[in-house]
Amino acid sequence: MSVTLTIDGTEVTVPEGTLLVDAAKRRGTDVPVFCYHPKMKPVGMCRVCLVEIGRPARDRATGESLLDESGDPLIQFGPNLETACTITVGQGWQVRVSSEKAIQGRKEIVEYLLTSHPLDCPICDKGGECPLQDLTMGHGSGESRFLFDDKIRLAKRYPLGELIFLDRERCIQCARCTRFQDEIVGDPVIGFYERGRRLEIVTYSDPGFDSYFSGNTTDICPVGALTTADFRFGARPWELNSAASICPHCPVGCNLTLSTRREASNAGRDVVKRVMPRQNEQVNEIWICDKGRFVHHYARSPERLTSPRVRKNGKLVKASWNEALTRAAEGLKGAASSAVGIASGRLMNEDLFNLKELMAALGGRAILVDSMAGGNLIQRYGVGVGSNLGSLGKRDAVLVIAADLHEEAPIWWLRLKQAAERGTTLIVANARATRLDDYAKHRVRYGPGEAVQAALGLLHLNGGDPELARFEGDRALKSAARAIKRARNVTIFFGQEGLNYAGTEALARACALITESKGRVGKSNNGLVAVWPRANTQGAWDMGLRPEPAGLHRALAGAVAAYIVAADPVGDDPAAAAPFEKLSTLIVQDLFLTATAELADVVLPAQAFVERAGTFTSGERRVQRLYPAVGALAGSLPDWKIVANLAHRLEVDLEDKAAPLVFERIAAAVPDYLGLSYDDLAAVEPQWPEVGGADLYFGGTAYANKQGLGVQLAPRGAGRPLKWKAPPRASAGKDLLLTPVTVLYDRGSALRHSRLLEGRIAPLQLILHPDEIERLGLSEAGEVEISWDGRSERLKFAASTDVPPGSALVPRGAGLALSDPTPVTVRRSNS
Amino acid sequence: MNPLELLRGLATTLSMMFERPVTYQYPEIKRPVRERFKGRHELKRYDNGLEKCIGCSLCAAACPADAIFVESAENTDEERYSPGERYASTYEINMLRCIFCGYCEDACPTEAIVLEHNYELSFTNRRDAIYTRDMLLVPAPEHGRPTPMVTAPREFDRSIPEMADPQ
Amino acid sequence: MLAENYTQEIEAILAKYPSDQKRSAVMPLLFLAQREYGTLTNEAITEVGELIGLQTTEVASLVGFYSLYHDRPGGKYRIQVCTDLPCALKGAQAFADELCEKLDIEMGETTPDGQVTIEQVMCLAACDRAPLFQLQGPNGFRYHEDQSIGSAMALIESLRVRGQVDRAHRLTAS
Repeated sequence: MSVTLTIDGTEVTVPEGTLLVDAAKRRGTDVPVFCYHPKMKPVGMCRVCLVEIGRPARDRATGESLLDESGDPLIQFGPNLETACTITVGQGWQVRVSSEKAIQGRKEIVEYLLTSHPLDCPICDKGGECPLQDLTMGHGSGESRFLFDDKIRLAKRYPLGELIFLDRERCIQCARCTRFQDEIVGDPVIGFYERGRRLEIVTYSDPGFDSYFSGNTTDICPVGALTTADFRFGARPWELNSAASICPHCPVGCNLTLSTRREASNAGRDVVKRVMPRQNEQVNEIWICDKGRFVHHYARSPERLTSPRVRKNGKLVKASWNEALTRAAEGLKGAASSAVGIASGRLMNEDLFNLKELMAALGGRAILVDSMAGGNLIQRYGVGVGSNLGSLGKRDAVLVIAADLHEEAPIWWLRLKQAAERGTTLIVANARATRLDDYAKHRVRYGPGEAVQAALGLLHLNGGDPELARFEGDRALKSAARAIKRARNVTIFFGQEGLNYAGTEALARACALITESKGRVGKSNNGLVAVWPRANTQGAWDMGLRPEPAGLHRALAGAVAAYIVAADPVGDDPAAAAPFEKLSTLIVQDLFLTATAELADVVLPAQAFVERAGTFTSGERRVQRLYPAVGALAGSLPDWKIVANLAHRLEVDLEDKAAPLVFERIAAAVPDYLGLSYDDLAAVEPQWPEVGGADLYFGGTAYANKQGLGVQLAPRGAGRPLKWKAPPRASAGKDLLLTPVTVLYDRGSALRHSRLLEGRIAPLQLILHPDEIERLGLSEAGEVEISWDGRSERLKFAASTDVPPGSALVPRGAGLALSDPTPVTVRRSNS
Repeated sequence: MNPLELLRGLATTLSMMFERPVTYQYPEIKRPVRERFKGRHELKRYDNGLEKCIGCSLCAAACPADAIFVESAENTDEERYSPGERYASTYEINMLRCIFCGYCEDACPTEAIVLEHNYELSFTNRRDAIYTRDMLLVPAPEHGRPTPMVTAPREFDRSIPEMADPQ
Repeated sequence: MLAENYTQEIEAILAKYPSDQKRSAVMPLLFLAQREYGTLTNEAITEVGELIGLQTTEVASLVGFYSLYHDRPGGKYRIQVCTDLPCALKGAQAFADELCEKLDIEMGETTPDGQVTIEQVMCLAACDRAPLFQLQGPNGFRYHEDQSIGSAMALIESLRVRGQVDRAHRLTAS
């Protein structure tokens, strides 16, 4: 049903239930707002959106419309102004946004808000992109009737934790931040305290403002009350240039805008001053997580490599590009088909394509270090074109299995949470409780490492092989299976928690078969999404790289030379150094002198994402473009170029001139990318709500997307029949299954080089069930010794009732060299 | 030609010989400038020595020649440069670009930048034309202290310390 | 610990609300905690939050909102003066300031004998009877309307007289 009304003399037709403020916006009329935000429920707290509303008059007795002399419906205007943000449109209304009365009303509200707002725009970080500043210019009066000396003086610098700072004087009590945390994120860790003029924002969490999404509150704050530690007094907004980018830290592929400006500290060259969300309603809407926002500092670390290095007399010494590349080329030439290329999903498609081509020309293998299977199945069973978590509704279902999205892909978590609140059936299957459980309709619990069994159980109940009957699980599993069966659309997110490579392979197959069961393959909002460990793991599969199921040491067996790009296998596990030391040539290409690089014969300095053009393919298989934001660090080159330069020395023809030209080759050679171009990826279309325009008060300071929404690749379809795989047999006989779980703030190279998030990095500790602690007779502050495969390690420990029986958890990438779930013996450490 | 006119001309010349010369023997003698003359910029201080500049960059925004470059940082009570939270950690004016229009002065909310009476700007290379913060800042006044200074907590936590009602 | 010492009371409070709406019990639980601890310390607030699955911040917001919850220690009696705009127009601010001066304490402080704390609060919904205050003490709370310094000081004096507490309440109420 749609409703037609007149706003400032122009007719507009909008769906029933639309808020007046949105209806006006769609017509192009700006009704100023502070507390209203199009992503949140209206509250009508700030009163600045006052308008005059005239409704068709009705006869009280008969209920019929009254007509005026000329036969038109008689319109009655109320005596008072009304808030456009809390009122839904009505048929035949006449709304006056810019009448004298409405303007006067707004003027008085702005004057009132300014009675105690400090006049420190010159030093305020919001100054220049401040809704209050803009609306004061537009609607405020030049003079105040209130006394300047009577302004309330409150704390100017009040840290709500180490990331977000509050200026209590500037707060206009719109509650956007507290509502965002409560309504959108479900982390009500900031709240109002006291009343009236004394009202203030407080946090009682430890650490303060403990939320992965805290930075977004600074974007939607309509004044400079909330600022980030990162950008505090960093620059004035009008001095910033912006470049579009894609977040390189997880497979969501959040669209970013990097704000840059020239800085004396960088010898007058551009520096990234802040990372802001760029609107893409199909990917991240207007939000990003704090990791994406605050972790960019590693790109400016003084520890970055600035020149190639070559091993001479047993020592790595600086060398020219020519010397280093020649040395590397000699090594690879000598090895020929015994050369191995190893890369991670941190690289862009252009880099991966060139690397794959080089290795193919040499006859060697190109191996992906991200040890998780399913990329080839995603190509067939991935989500259909047009899939958008924001469009999921009541009749849709989502299964999340063996993944903790809150830690692994926070924005997916956020969007699934919101989908669940809209009525989408959310099924969370995991061995332990995760934060998505709170919003799940069905929670499936399986034993440690038994995700495949659970998936096969779901498959069985969705018309799978009768042979699968043995996996039929408990009641929760059965009702989850029925929910999948009944749903109109089914999207499945699968991860690798508690599984080794073979386990993820079996899980991916089972999940693919579930989506196949009702002919869902290829349809939008249906299909498979892998929760990859890195941003572009899917792109790596698409470019033809494959993990080595048996592990890297198998891939290196018999290899003479290895070319390792954007991976640090030795840093991940120092015990894995031996096979690298045996190689006759080891070439490492990275940003930093990693542990692997320290063993290398040739080290080649690469560039960080802020310096790069290229493309990432997200977990939902959306190919998106990054644009260079700052000049490259002197001495470094983009990965695709280094690979191409190396290839030339081996007489292999690879594109070395520009990233778009590499992509042209991808578009000519890689099946799913056929015909794609950078121009396609840069296409945009209007999005709702409008953000980043002249009306910052509406959506906040997130940037409008003018540089491309990306292109979602179509899955190829089921094709030849797929057979399910039995779960890998669990090795028993040890005490506990030690399961590495991914945490957002791990000890990865990005976080280690960004001081801002240092305090939030997950500590290395064994997480045990209290019962287990009691059984092992552990004291409160002691350490434990864990041993496996002849290795042992001493660790601190912590208790959590979320740990499933028979297992122990450890944060992945926190320092323990363990990537697969491993049976371990745990005992009290003597001393 | 009328010889009389010639004589009249010579008489004028002769009479001028007894007038005082208008030429100043620059640089030995410097001609005073007008009160509102716009010469080289200075960054002013308060009487206690704190810098007036709060690093707001409005001068840079107002500058039609893009001659000013400002970077700011946060004050602490242990290391305070100016009242309030923000101070200019970098302040540079490229005198080759500056057109001495005084817009920066107009834009300054704290009257920190003033175009003073020094017009003797000369340099032998382009780099010297960039006047830095240290060159532009006036010395600390007699009873003031140099910056950065240690101040009592909450004594200077506002940028515009005792500003009167700005009606 | 509330959960251990008041298991039955807590269960009785929780039983009044649907089991999926435990958070509704926050107000009575806060009263319970305040009765137990005197003031609502951060630990007490956290404890109440844990009982009903609310974040500490959410519970603290409520404590901050209502003048009947106290998160700061005070005297035996709390005199809470409303100084919102309508009251201020009727002289409540001046009344409050003068009262503090008479007692020789700052707003929010307690008299040295530990008897009386003067607090400023937001709207008490009796603007027509300003200046007014709400007196909170061991015997509950009561409004004292249309006050003057004289009447307030007389009340405070009567409160200070040991054993006359109840009478003072009855007198001012009548």
